[in-house]
Amino acid sequence: MKVLDIIRDANANLLRNKMRSFLTILAIFIGSFVIILSTGISAGVNDFVDKQMSAVGGEGYVEIMNTAASEQVTQMFNQDAQEYTEPGENENTDIYISDKQIEDARKIDGVKSIDAFKNASAEYIKMKGENKRFKLNLNLVPRGNLNMDLSAGRKADPDAEDYEIIVQQNLAESLGYDNPEDIVGKTAEIAVPSTVACFTAAKRSDCLTTIEAKIVGVQAPGILAMAGSRANLALWNKINEINNENMPEENNRAIQATADVDPAKAEDIKKAMADLGLTAMTIEDEVGQIKTFFDAMLAVLSIFGGIALLAAAIGIINTLLMSVQERTREIGLDKALGMSNGRVFLNFALEAIMLGFWGSVFGIAISVLIGQAINSVTHDSILKDLPSFQLTIFRPEDLLGVTVLIMLIALIAGVLPARKASKKDPIDALRYE
Amino acid sequence: MSNDILLSTHGLHKSYGKRDSKFEALRGINLEIRRGESVAIVGKSGSGKSTLMHLLALLDRPTKGEIRLGDKQTSKLKQRQLNHLRNKEFGFVFQSFFMNANDSVLNNVILPLKIAGVGRRERKQRAIHALKIVGLETKAKNKANDLSGGQKQRVCIARAIVNQPKVIFADEPTGNLDSGTGEKIEELLFNLNKEQGITLIIVTHDQELANKCSRQIHISDGHIVSDDTITADIESADAETEEEVGPTEEEVAEEIRESIIEERDEIDTNGDGFIDEEDQPHVTRIKSKGSK
Repeated sequence: MKVLDIIRDANANLLRNKMRSFLTILAIFIGSFVIILSTGISAGVNDFVDKQMSAVGGEGYVEIMNTAASEQVTQMFNQDAQEYTEPGENENTDIYISDKQIEDARKIDGVKSIDAFKNASAEYIKMKGENKRFKLNLNLVPRGNLNMDLSAGRKADPDAEDYEIIVQQNLAESLGYDNPEDIVGKTAEIAVPSTVACFTAAKRSDCLTTIEAKIVGVQAPGILAMAGSRANLALWNKINEINNENMPEENNRAIQATADVDPAKAEDIKKAMADLGLTAMTIEDEVGQIKTFFDAMLAVLSIFGGIALLAAAIGIINTLLMSVQERTREIGLDKALGMSNGRVFLNFALEAIMLGFWGSVFGIAISVLIGQAINSVTHDSILKDLPSFQLTIFRPEDLLGVTVLIMLIALIAGVLPARKASKKDPIDALRYE
Repeated sequence: MSNDILLSTHGLHKSYGKRDSKFEALRGINLEIRRGESVAIVGKSGSGKSTLMHLLALLDRPTKGEIRLGDKQTSKLKQRQLNHLRNKEFGFVFQSFFMNANDSVLNNVILPLKIAGVGRRERKQRAIHALKIVGLETKAKNKANDLSGGQKQRVCIARAIVNQPKVIFADEPTGNLDSGTGEKIEELLFNLNKEQGITLIIVTHDQELANKCSRQIHISDGHIVSDDTITADIESADAETEEEVGPTEEEVAEEIRESIIEERDEIDTNGDGFIDEEDQPHVTRIKSKGSK
């Protein structure tokens, strides 16, 4: 008996009792549907988080603050009353990052580069020759070889001497460029306030200086707070210079640094920096919470799917046991006509596998259909601002993996009935009425 | 002469159960079946005739003794080889047909070939050929369940011959059929025996059917009580057994047999046309009647 015959027979036998097979497959379908859908969402979220991570820096990108500063930030959210203690002699109360800290941090093993940067703030941005002005939330382009989630153009060159800027896509649209490609290469005007001059200026516009920067790229919308418009270092320093005109030098110091580090050593580097009084955070730390939330949710969903599959497996056992009972005479005949015990076992095991197979095939079909529907609905509603976020992504390897897993579970469930069938004595089986 | 012998048994014993509940179904059967014979194994229910057929058909292994198929000692064969032998050399016809009712006639006939792993085209051709022999080629596509009893048994015969076996084992082949249909089935079986030289081993308690066979082996209480060859004078290998049992016991057996046939419908409580263990209490009653 050939394998193809066995598979064909297994399907034919399932069709003999359509309702019973259908209900068993339905039970498997429910389990596989839940698992496949949660795998799809998990893949979608992970894909999105990965894209976001590269948008803000990606692997090896570390943001550094003075520990005192980061404590101040966390204390803003701390509602408990805290007793005041006099700071110790060597305790760092300064929120600025000192040159010495940077020098020491640069020597840590695994740190490829580190840049401290001072504050820079811009007033607004507008296209050259246009009148519409928009507020500008500016960040620095990170160093290192990173993939940013750009919808057009290129990453700004951190070391270029020309002023370069990447704008966010919704800003580009507001500036009048619905197609992100069109804004690339255009020149924008950025108004920068001079803090000291603005104290005495009669009109705000009197203390603003306008500089021109070239738009080199458009960043796809993201959910991470850090994904603002990004300036290269030359532009950033220029803005900082204008901000601090006539300001005492000691007030214009670095409060933040970014470093490009060896991702494998990130944890050690974080510890070493802590000894220097610096708090370092990787992107994983920042997006970790989002991921943890989704992972927990999907884990719960998968557990439900698993429980459904377990129940379905018992359904398979039940269905096949009934089938073995009903087909006692048939089994006896097969054996009398020379079928080996192994073949009888295989026949029933394959029926179990086919139940699992059809259950997961229907599970995949319906999951993918519903997943596509979810994607198109959310794309136009709650995820409107995040076009690069597909809530569900079905990777062929995941689908194959789930199918194989379910077929394996079905096979395990099929072992008991198949053994029972294979052990039937042909004489007893033929006598059975 | 010796390669003329298809099946032979040597001191065949078969017992079921252990110790107190031990039941000896066969108590030393010696017989030889030659190629081309048509043998009726006759006996009442519980005589051991079915057990003997199961052993001869290699469906079961003896507790003691040896069955030779040609010059092969079957006790030395592995289960795989036994399965293969059954598939290649034997055909089976059962009283209650044993067909896959919802499958087509063709697929029922194909079954042994499918088990043997014959390719799709060849097995279809051979199945249709077998159906032609039984005169049912036009019913190939029909559902097995839609056939009449006689047609079903013809399909079973087609299934039995599709692998071109050396032996057909028929267990009460006409037991479920009316006499007219039964005769046609008998004719078919004996034609296969005469024209194709297929050895026929029929288990029955129908004396009329047994009379049509070239040889009758009567079984009682696990012994052979008589072994009569009608057409040829084959020397009985069971003289010893016959002596042991004695002619009076044989007469009693005959009496019992006849009474069973007469009262078959009455005895056959479950209406399966087959007097088996389920009808045992009635058989016991008949038995006591017979021995009086």
